[in-house]
Amino acid sequence: MATKEVRWRTLLVPLAFGAIAACGAGGSGSGAVPAIIGGGGTGGGGGSGGGSGGSGGGSGGGGSFASTSTIIEDEADAVRFLSYATFGGSQTQIDALVGQDAADWLEVEFNRAPTLTLSRVLGAADADGRIPSGTVDGQYWDQLLTSNDQLRQRMAFALSQIFVYSDRADGDQAQRAYFQDVLIRNAFGNYRDLLEEVTYSPAMGRFLTYHRNRKGDPSIGRMPDENYAREILQLFSIGLVELNMDGTPKAGEPETYDNEDVVGLAKVFTGLATNGKSFRNNYDDADYNPMVMFDDEHSPLEKSFLGITIPPNSRGDESIQIALDTIFEHPNVAPFISRQLIQRFTASDPNPAYVERVATAFENGTYTGTNGQTFGTGQRGDLEATLAAILLEGAVFDVPDDTGVENLNGKIREPILRFSQMVRAFEYDDIDSSNERNLRDTSGFADGLGQHPFRSPSVFNFYRPGFVAPNTRSGELGLTAPEFQILNSSTAIGYNSFMSDFAFDRSTTRNPDVNTFRPNYATELALTDTPAALVDHLAMLLTADRMPPEEREEITTILEQLPINTNDTDRETADRLQIVGTAVLLVTNSASYAITW
Amino acid sequence: MAYLSRRHLLVGAGTAGFSASLGALTGLGSQRAWAADTTGYKALVCIFLYGGMDHSDTVIPYDQSEYDLLAGTVRQGMFNTYKSDEPTSSRNRDNLLALTPTGADVTGGRRFALPPQLSPLHDMFGAGDLAIVGNVGPLIEPTTRVAIDAKTAILPRRLFSHNDQRSTWMSQSTEGSSYGWGGQFMDTILAQQSGQNPNFSSVATGQSDVFLSGRNTTPFRATKSGANLPRILSSESFLGGTSGDDEARASIRSFLAGSQYGDNNVYGQDYRDVVGRSIQVSERMIEARQSATPFSTEFPDTSIAAQLKLVAETIQIQQALNVSRQIFFVTMGGYDTHDNQVNRLSPLHSGLASAMAAFKAAMQEIDRWNDVTLFTASDFGRTQIGNGGGTDHGWGGHQLVAGGAVRGGSLYGSFPVVDPSAPAYTKSRGRLIPTVSVEQYAATLGRWFGLSGGEINATLPNLSNFNSSDVGFMATSGT
Repeated sequence: MATKEVRWRTLLVPLAFGAIAACGAGGSGSGAVPAIIGGGGTGGGGGSGGGSGGSGGGSGGGGSFASTSTIIEDEADAVRFLSYATFGGSQTQIDALVGQDAADWLEVEFNRAPTLTLSRVLGAADADGRIPSGTVDGQYWDQLLTSNDQLRQRMAFALSQIFVYSDRADGDQAQRAYFQDVLIRNAFGNYRDLLEEVTYSPAMGRFLTYHRNRKGDPSIGRMPDENYAREILQLFSIGLVELNMDGTPKAGEPETYDNEDVVGLAKVFTGLATNGKSFRNNYDDADYNPMVMFDDEHSPLEKSFLGITIPPNSRGDESIQIALDTIFEHPNVAPFISRQLIQRFTASDPNPAYVERVATAFENGTYTGTNGQTFGTGQRGDLEATLAAILLEGAVFDVPDDTGVENLNGKIREPILRFSQMVRAFEYDDIDSSNERNLRDTSGFADGLGQHPFRSPSVFNFYRPGFVAPNTRSGELGLTAPEFQILNSSTAIGYNSFMSDFAFDRSTTRNPDVNTFRPNYATELALTDTPAALVDHLAMLLTADRMPPEEREEITTILEQLPINTNDTDRETADRLQIVGTAVLLVTNSASYAITW
Repeated sequence: MAYLSRRHLLVGAGTAGFSASLGALTGLGSQRAWAADTTGYKALVCIFLYGGMDHSDTVIPYDQSEYDLLAGTVRQGMFNTYKSDEPTSSRNRDNLLALTPTGADVTGGRRFALPPQLSPLHDMFGAGDLAIVGNVGPLIEPTTRVAIDAKTAILPRRLFSHNDQRSTWMSQSTEGSSYGWGGQFMDTILAQQSGQNPNFSSVATGQSDVFLSGRNTTPFRATKSGANLPRILSSESFLGGTSGDDEARASIRSFLAGSQYGDNNVYGQDYRDVVGRSIQVSERMIEARQSATPFSTEFPDTSIAAQLKLVAETIQIQQALNVSRQIFFVTMGGYDTHDNQVNRLSPLHSGLASAMAAFKAAMQEIDRWNDVTLFTASDFGRTQIGNGGGTDHGWGGHQLVAGGAVRGGSLYGSFPVVDPSAPAYTKSRGRLIPTVSVEQYAATLGRWFGLSGGEINATLPNLSNFNSSDVGFMATSGT
């Protein structure tokens, strides 16, 4: 390990933070070199729309890391990499990954068959064709927790937080399942194809209210609905301000479009409805097939936006093709999408140089790893190349400085990822999420995760890519911290409560006769006589060995207080489970579990 | 009793110098003449209507000619869906609740009405406890359609975008800003009230947002029951009921409530800090709530009512919490009525009105109605010209202010004509150009809250661009 170059970002880089750094740690330490992963440093105002990384920027972060190996050297590396790239590593996966090149792992993942949702959701329908409530939620959790195409599922989950559809507005399960499959199928495909499939999906059409959006009729005071036109630009593609390739705003922050562009583009998204005999009369399977164009309801007017004009009387599907091509061609797309994807995988505040490398892979449609392996088709917008660039980034494989100097890197993991890693780390048996009351809706702040897949409060996701947390150290340093937007005095405690049922094997089943979600604690139970060893083991398995010594000692002391009654076998079993449950709960509530760095 | 600011709870490398630099930032109002009035108890309650409430379907023109123009032409499609010709329709002119304002005439004699779903607010208006402020929105300086079309106007950035205009409402800056005017008002109070507990000075009951964040103010996020503790501490179902288990729980409690354990990572330090503080403040809140007496007022079974009930309960225990000034942030979603507005807006209106009425009753029970001011805010008003099923993003909109200290029963601001081609609107779709800036609206509330003119100006950077810093709707206006 010592032979690895230390490239981790620390507070010893005064240029990155100007005066603030001077009040910071300042202290000692050696070998500190500018940040790689982290380091946007937005300075507060620049985060809107997710694309802007701000101006702070780790100086010198743009160096080349061609020499950095992407080989996973040890268990801690494996845990950490799997925390970035999957819903959490099982011991089996971790062991298998040690010694492998991450690029080889990616290659395997890119070629796995996708696990899809729709057919299973439709298959659950009863004799009357009704899908039992909670089916799509159960299927999605199962798939996120157990499917072997983990990278694809993780990418789809990331995309679900950019192309946000929320089933709060319309709970149709088949419609949601179809939309999930759009993201899963296109996860390693091309952004342009994804944008089109999203646009034609009934889920998005209903959520952003352009389903059955009609051409204007001034005589009765009707104009096309502007909702999708605005959000496709602001959130799904280019954002509000012109960006450099490294994700920072261009000087003067010129805006990418104005309100007249929205008015013009709104006319494009008229005439779409779910497939059927007519605009208002759809077929039974319309909710899980692409919407279709009804040209009679499509605006025949000239449509001007983003510097182009679609001539009058163009047909609807043609107008949409032109619009999506025009949006896709905008130079903002690569940095705008790349920065947000990085935030979902490896860094809450990616360094601009890192953003630029990923955006370049998006632009070129290809990425070559340090071992010479090439990913992507060469077509602009290739998501496989983009994802390879995110996960094979040099700093993902570098060992962080451990000299006691503050470290500014890392990915704040959203609560869903923290829950999923626990389930996967202990290889829970009998995972049947539809039988799990606690998983039906995990949105609750006081007793849930404060977050539920495909159920954000609005199209603006659970949190914003530019969020800077007020009254925090990261906030004062200008670091974006999206996931902190849902961390507060209520959710911090609610998360702890939510995790306790699962940690103590007390999950709440809908059918009490079927025990589901049973953790495999064999290794951990065997360590209950030596609490310090148990904590070290969990610190490795769950925090990639990041948990600081002081915290390990505190937890060990607590575990030592819990008795083991060896006179009664049942009591002894319960006592040992109590020790493991307490240990798992405390470690999964630690900062080193919440932040992967 | 002096409280440490949250900042001081941060332990670890490099934070000491950090705290010191903050002291300098908050040293406002050192001269007595410029200092806030912090006597007695006062609370501001912001009800943020997420999505952008359609002002034009909330305060409806009542003169026959304007009503006919709206219902028969400009919004013909929507009024058809409302079946406004039918005698039972909520948008039939005969069923609208006409307002009879007192005070200055800001409409030129034109009359307005509320829809029947807002009946409790119509009553409140009649009782002099509710003011309506017309056409409020984010502005840098007064502006006009001519200046906007000529591109000479200096305008807030990223207008019409939900998240940015919402953020601008709360903080004068687009998304990503750190401090809201609620939080900054409270910073000013705390700078002079060292005895006030900062942990419960700002309380959020719904969505968290930037409004309550200040330099020294971190909002408490209340739960339905006020506060909770982790179940491993509050329940004996994980560790048992023996004294040994109690000791273990006490150790776990100390561990979770403690501060830093040597995390090198900055995000990790922040995370640990929030977890530790959450335990401490939740314990404090749970303890203080034991002194509460239940209200006899029944609150409706809606999220907005539950939140306002929580606000009422928190106001009731203000002495136990040791706070004399509080700002609350209450949220209600669903106002982004691009589609199906006819069926969606009405229940939102009824929910809002009934919750506010219950809140007033509860405040009267504990004799606090004169000490609290509720005010609405929203992303934006909506387009006067609909899209068939609903309306799209606008700019200016009308707001409601309620409380015993409000100069109620009156209209303030402006209530432009129906015709969307009028100069009161932008050139397309009929988006209202605000005539009252959010900062004027905020300043009027801030003055009542006790802030001095200097303190208000320090918080609201564009206020001096406007003729008046007071819209007139508070008892303290014009004093």
